[in-house]
Amino acid sequence: MSAAAKPAKLPAGSITRTDPYAPTGLSLTLESFGAILLALIWVLPLAYAVWAAFHPSEFTTRFELTAPLTLENFSRAWAAAPFARYFLNTFVLVTLILACQLVLGTLAAYALARQDFWGRDVAFALILAQLMIMPDALIVENYRTMAKFGLVDTITAIALPYIASAFGIFLLRQTFKTVPKELDDAARVEGASPLQVLMKVYVPLAKPTYIAYGLVSVSYHWNNFLWPLLVTNSVEARPLTVGLQVFSSTDQGIDWAVICAATLMTSAPLLVGFLLFQRQFVQSFMRAGIK
Amino acid sequence: MDRREFMTGAMALAGSVAMPALARAQQAAEISFFYPVAVGGPITKLIDAYASGFAGENASLKVNPIYAGTYQETIVKALTAHKSGTPPVLSVLLSTDMFTLIDEDAIVPFDEFVKTDEDKKWLASFFPGFMENSQTGGKTWGIPFQRSTVVLYWNKELFKEAGLDPETPPKTWAEQLAFAQKLTKRDAAGNVTQWGIQIPSSGFPYWLFQGLSTQAGSILANPAGDKTDYANPAVVEALQYWVDLAQKHKVHPPGIVEWGTTPRDFFERKVAMMWTTTGNLTNVRTNAKFPFGVGLLPAGKRLGSPTGGGNFYISKKASKAEQEAAFKFVRWITTPERAAQWSIDTGYVAVRPDSYETAAMKKYAADFPAALVARDQLPHAVAELSTHENQRVTKALNDGLQAALTGTKAPQKAMEDAQAEAERILKPYR
Repeated sequence: MSAAAKPAKLPAGSITRTDPYAPTGLSLTLESFGAILLALIWVLPLAYAVWAAFHPSEFTTRFELTAPLTLENFSRAWAAAPFARYFLNTFVLVTLILACQLVLGTLAAYALARQDFWGRDVAFALILAQLMIMPDALIVENYRTMAKFGLVDTITAIALPYIASAFGIFLLRQTFKTVPKELDDAARVEGASPLQVLMKVYVPLAKPTYIAYGLVSVSYHWNNFLWPLLVTNSVEARPLTVGLQVFSSTDQGIDWAVICAATLMTSAPLLVGFLLFQRQFVQSFMRAGIK
Repeated sequence: MDRREFMTGAMALAGSVAMPALARAQQAAEISFFYPVAVGGPITKLIDAYASGFAGENASLKVNPIYAGTYQETIVKALTAHKSGTPPVLSVLLSTDMFTLIDEDAIVPFDEFVKTDEDKKWLASFFPGFMENSQTGGKTWGIPFQRSTVVLYWNKELFKEAGLDPETPPKTWAEQLAFAQKLTKRDAAGNVTQWGIQIPSSGFPYWLFQGLSTQAGSILANPAGDKTDYANPAVVEALQYWVDLAQKHKVHPPGIVEWGTTPRDFFERKVAMMWTTTGNLTNVRTNAKFPFGVGLLPAGKRLGSPTGGGNFYISKKASKAEQEAAFKFVRWITTPERAAQWSIDTGYVAVRPDSYETAAMKKYAADFPAALVARDQLPHAVAELSTHENQRVTKALNDGLQAALTGTKAPQKAMEDAQAEAERILKPYR
């Protein structure tokens, strides 16, 4: 992804020219050229999607600069499925998941990083083990659990298996561990309770990690397909990705123009969000050490 | 906090979203029905109309269609639900998934519901070509519904330009090649601007290849589904013909031809003849801006084409009452009139010969004779390739076909390798 290519360049611009590690001369040219090339390769599919989405379908595979522009593909895509409802569902879904993940992750990470209790290391090892298991391997078992709770075909059912995120807990624990113990002690001397210490000392210092993790989580669940497809049956519970299927009927022919319009439409909120907060995201990623 | 409290809390989080499921759980006499199409397509409206029509005639029963996406996604969804104990009572899945569903112990044969003479007559009323994929070991496991077959589409304008009779499609392999040679156009630099013929080979090349291999006089798998015949000389000959169209005669695009965009190439006059499913009939009719013809696939040693598409299956884990209700719905929706109307609305083949005798179908065919081509081809059609471990056995063939088409393996070697792989997979089932 470009996220990987771009951050490498950013510090070079933001740091003064006397930086001894900044590339100069030939290596600067080479490096810039490489970065531009990678960015171009990354952006090509997106550029094609934009081209196809804004032109009549005759021009999907014909590149003529004078081709007429149209918004018809978007209106056709919008009318093909109840996308307003799907947008709402996806929005509720990612918010629900992220909120639960942050609360659970913060509390668990704090306990694992700073509290001493019996079996702490075993608990942490078990959480880490969850990282090694592909979520797809658990689908049947998860479905059975949801069916037992009577939750099949609800947004809650899509969210529930993901709210205790091993990755989130691990990441936050590592971040909390880097917070100097002195700050913690100072807060305690002032009479702060453990929860206050967490909220006033640890959480503010871990802000870059929260932002980076939030982005990863939101984009993952925005794009997740298989589990929502399996566990939902009705329009009321299905997210955008499952709604997009309407265009993948290979039996009846494929219309790339409409597919591209629909794809742009559904990924637009994420793309716009990323472009707006690009700098914050990139910096958070560098500080949090996630690639 | 007990489970009830937890659920209330969870539902409050999701707001009104959780309500439909709860309401649904309270109604008992309902047939859940997985249907392989995405929500919002034109077909969902038809199915919804059938469901409410059936409910209107049978007050105590209710069919609840659940649109589950593509065939592939639908079977994953159905098997997941089956393994967790709450499968859909009725589903439409690929006819080729029959052995998989039997091996998973997921379905019941229809025979136990067929009791009266009228039921027996109904069971015997379908095209035998479709039943080949619905019966094994003397039992009927599926009832054909959303079925299709491969046919040849040609562009009449381009035929005229090339000096061919626009009303006559190629009848034999030799004619097909000769026509394609006339229909292939090259610019001054020798680049092809218009291909003669296109047979798609992405995704499921085995299905289109089955047209060729049947025409060459071979059958790819036995009815018991435990033995394949990929290395038969006739199969190799069929593959050689396909490979030659592209590599030797250069009238067919080289390499892998994309299934999904083949109709688009046809609309844009990039190709003059294409092989594709009858399911594309309505699509081609709406989007082709030139007169087009639809014909039987050309004959090699014989005429031939595979059937394809979906069957009704009834779940084994459903209650007896639910199964009976599902059977009633299947009988209701496959009457000659409904099968005819379904075919007119969607372009799928009507599954029983007497559908073509109905007034609605006769009127439609008078307007649009292409709709009858599929019926005329059915007497020559064979079962779509289907075996135990269907996905893997089919993949062995797909890989071999694609290797030959891209030129990485000779046809003979590609088919021998595919056969060896299929043998290895199928040995435990004999």
